Parts: sequence; structure tokens; C-alpha cells
Amino acid sequence: MNEGNPGLEMVPSTRVDQKSGSVIASFRSEIDLHNSPDLRTVLLDLLAKHDPKRLVLNLSQVPYMDSSAIAVLVEALQKIRKSGGRIFLTDLQPRVKGLLEIARLDSIFVVAKNEAEALAKQ
Amino acid sequence: MTVESDPANIARVRREVEDLAAAVGLDAQGVAETGLCVNEAMANVIRHAYQGAKDRPIVVRAHCQDGCLVVTIRDWGNGVNPAKLPPRPFDPTQPGGLGLICLGRMMSQVDYVPQGDGMLLVMKKQIPQARRGGSVSGARP
Repeated sequence: MNEGNPGLEMVPSTRVDQKSGSVIASFRSEIDLHNSPDLRTVLLDLLAKHDPKRLVLNLSQVPYMDSSAIAVLVEALQKIRKSGGRIFLTDLQPRVKGLLEIARLDSIFVVAKNEAEALAKQ
Repeated sequence: MTVESDPANIARVRREVEDLAAAVGLDAQGVAETGLCVNEAMANVIRHAYQGAKDRPIVVRAHCQDGCLVVTIRDWGNGVNPAKLPPRPFDPTQPGGLGLICLGRMMSQVDYVPQGDGMLLVMKKQIPQARRGGSVSGARP
């Protein structure tokens, strides 16, 4: 029986909000050192493919992440900032929110209550 | 329990320790913090002590002692004591270092005990007096 975290699943897939030029992606899984490389692959692919000004990550189905996942988010943030973009994190679950606060990243990423709020933010 | 240093094993060990933490009386936040610290400590062993090797042993034990949940993590890696590495200012925009910060902030006491052939990490989490159930005790092999 595999009791580890499964590979990262995107839910249901990436979509582009034409009006705001945003790329929106949702994930489903706990994320730790086992599957954070999957997150890295997905995010870097998204950035390379769309070069968005706004990347919205819906984390409503990510109940847990560790520092390896945080490191991936930071790497993606560094990359998108180079082209003037921003990353929005939405629907944070308590454990994820707590870790972001400890890492003092809640003020570096744009945290929104949900996708609609993220898309409405200037 | 003894597991191989495969990242796929981190979640299973974390959940086992979280179950024990809840059983001995830690509240939800204490359980979550203990689980995260076990995760981060195991990840440090895998990445640094074993330099990514997936087939090396990690022994995790947990028991109650003097009002604390005590979790020990033993490895047979390079023996580097993370607590003695030169400190660097934490920069939230740079990856790395967060795991050790979590251990320092979330656990009541953290000690790295050199073993000659590796490292023993001893982490203690105080159990609130009012919540000490005492129904679960002893070491988990």
C-alpha cells in the first residue's frame, strides 16, 4: 500500500482568463518533498508557456505543504517577477496559511480569499 | 519505525506521529506543528545527510516523557550538525532554511546529538497540562 503523497494532480486543468490575462491553476494533494518536484515542473511549464502577468494558484484542495513546496513557490515567484508578473494564492487552508506566515511569504505573494477576488485585484 | 530515505515515506511517518501526538493530548495546532517538524527533519536527513539517496535507513521513535512528546530521528549520514552551520539571515524571497526555523519555533526543545556514525535528532513538544491524557505511553518501535 502506498501511503505516501500521490503525485500532484491538477484540478481540473489550467485555464486562462482572457479578460485579465491571468493563468489559473488548481491542485489537489498534500505537497511535500515527494511530489514538490511535480509542482515545480507544472509551474515552470506554465510560466514558460504563457508568460502570464498574473498566475493564480487555487490551493483549496491542498491541505498541507512543507518547505520544499514553499521553495518551489518562491522559485516561481522569482521567475515571474523578472517579467513583471505576480503570483496570487487563493483559498489557503489553515496549515498552508500558517506555514506561509512563518516563512513571511504571506506579504510577498498576493493572498486572496478566492479566485474571483484574485482576478479582481489590481 | 524504520523507513528508507525515500521522500515517499515522509507523509506516512508524519501521519503516524500526528496520530500519536493527538492521542497523547496535543491540540490541533500542536499536532500540526509536530507533524510538520517531523516532515522537515526527515527531509533534511534525505537531502543533506543522505544527499538524496533513497535507500538509507531512518529510524523514527516517539514516546512521552516528563509531560512532553519526544520524537527522535536517527540517521547514518554525514553527521553534519545543522545547528552548528553558520547562521544566515532568513530571506523570505530565497528558498532554504525554513525547515530549521520551523523546528526552532514549533518544538519546545531541539537537540542534535552526534553519534559517531550519523546523527540523532531529539525533538520535544510540551503537552499542555490540562490535556495530558496519559492513555498512550511508551516508545513506538
